Amino acid sequence: MSYRCSRCKRDVTLDEYGGVRCPYCGHRVLLKERGGDVKEVSVE
Amino acid sequence: MSEADFDVQYIERDDRSARVLIRGLSPAFANGIRRAMIADVPTFSIDTVRFVENSSVMFDEMLGLRLGLVPLTTPIDDFEIGDEVTLALDVAGPGTAYSGDLVSSEPLVEPADKNVPLIELKEGQRVELEADAVLDTGKEHAKHQGGVSVGYRHLQRVTVEGDLGEFDEEETRILRGVIETEDGEIVPTEAFDHDLSERYPGKEVSVEDVPGAFVFHVETDGSVDVEELIVRAIGTIEERADELRTTIAV
Amino acid sequence: MELRVIDKSEAELRIEVAGEDHTFMNVLKGALLEADDVAAATYDVNPEQSGGQTEPILTVKTESGDPLDALEDAADAITEKTTALSDAVRAA
Repeated sequence: MSYRCSRCKRDVTLDEYGGVRCPYCGHRVLLKERGGDVKEVSVE
Repeated sequence: MSEADFDVQYIERDDRSARVLIRGLSPAFANGIRRAMIADVPTFSIDTVRFVENSSVMFDEMLGLRLGLVPLTTPIDDFEIGDEVTLALDVAGPGTAYSGDLVSSEPLVEPADKNVPLIELKEGQRVELEADAVLDTGKEHAKHQGGVSVGYRHLQRVTVEGDLGEFDEEETRILRGVIETEDGEIVPTEAFDHDLSERYPGKEVSVEDVPGAFVFHVETDGSVDVEELIVRAIGTIEERADELRTTIAV
Repeated sequence: MELRVIDKSEAELRIEVAGEDHTFMNVLKGALLEADDVAAATYDVNPEQSGGQTEPILTVKTESGDPLDALEDAADAITEKTTALSDAVRAA
């Protein structure tokens, strides 16, 4: 799960052939999801 | 120097704020204590945050900064500088997450105030994190300051010189701080609306600083109480004097 | 606290007190000046307008006696004061 289609909300994985496009609905706006890793932030 | 003769008198006293009159201080010493209260008395403050989930509208760094500013109770006797305590936060919207939602692994170290808003969460938003609080001094970072709004003024002695002339205009005489009257009474200027002509109507008065007498205003962020802060500040100066002595001896 | 002696003669001492700031240096200077055999005492936290140097440098001149001893006595005097003051605060 690396992107999410902004129209149909489905998870999208991009490959090198399909270009930036949702394979389910054809929408071209994809959202990058936050990764599942724990993120460490130091407080300045 | 030899006559270490101090007199300490609380004028107002609360857990978190006080006004203290200390007699017998040199200006250098008074300022040393003031500076030490601000910068050298260590308190716990969140320093590292591990975000498991943050679907709120705020960036991790913004939330981290807000967490760092939450005062944490600090029993200084039980810890050393550099010690860490872990706290956790797990909140889901809708609602506001407060400092009181932080769960500490160490009962002695917990948020001093429970009602500091951290973030407002909407439906479906969630924050889950683990935070390490570290004990350090205000010199390192202002979030570690135990004393906030610490300062002093000279105690002022008010002497009645005589009556005002019959046709003299009664003028306001504004003073702030604490005065000592001729009978040795200690009066905060709030008592007479900071105006000497209210307290001594029709009198001519003179005001002078009392040498060596300082009225400290001490306010803490709740990490430590006032007495602890003052004693610790004095302690840090003592530590350095001891260190100087042992270093010279070597 | 790290001490580095820069200059030392019979009655004068210039010493760098690394890691300290006005908080302690001014108290120390005050304590030195209150001693009878100290002729002069001062410190500078920004010598030569800080050509990279910001550690305080303490200068002590004595009328009689070793300035290092004067420094030690000043440390004693500070400890005496702090102990008395701590007690007074706790008692109040």
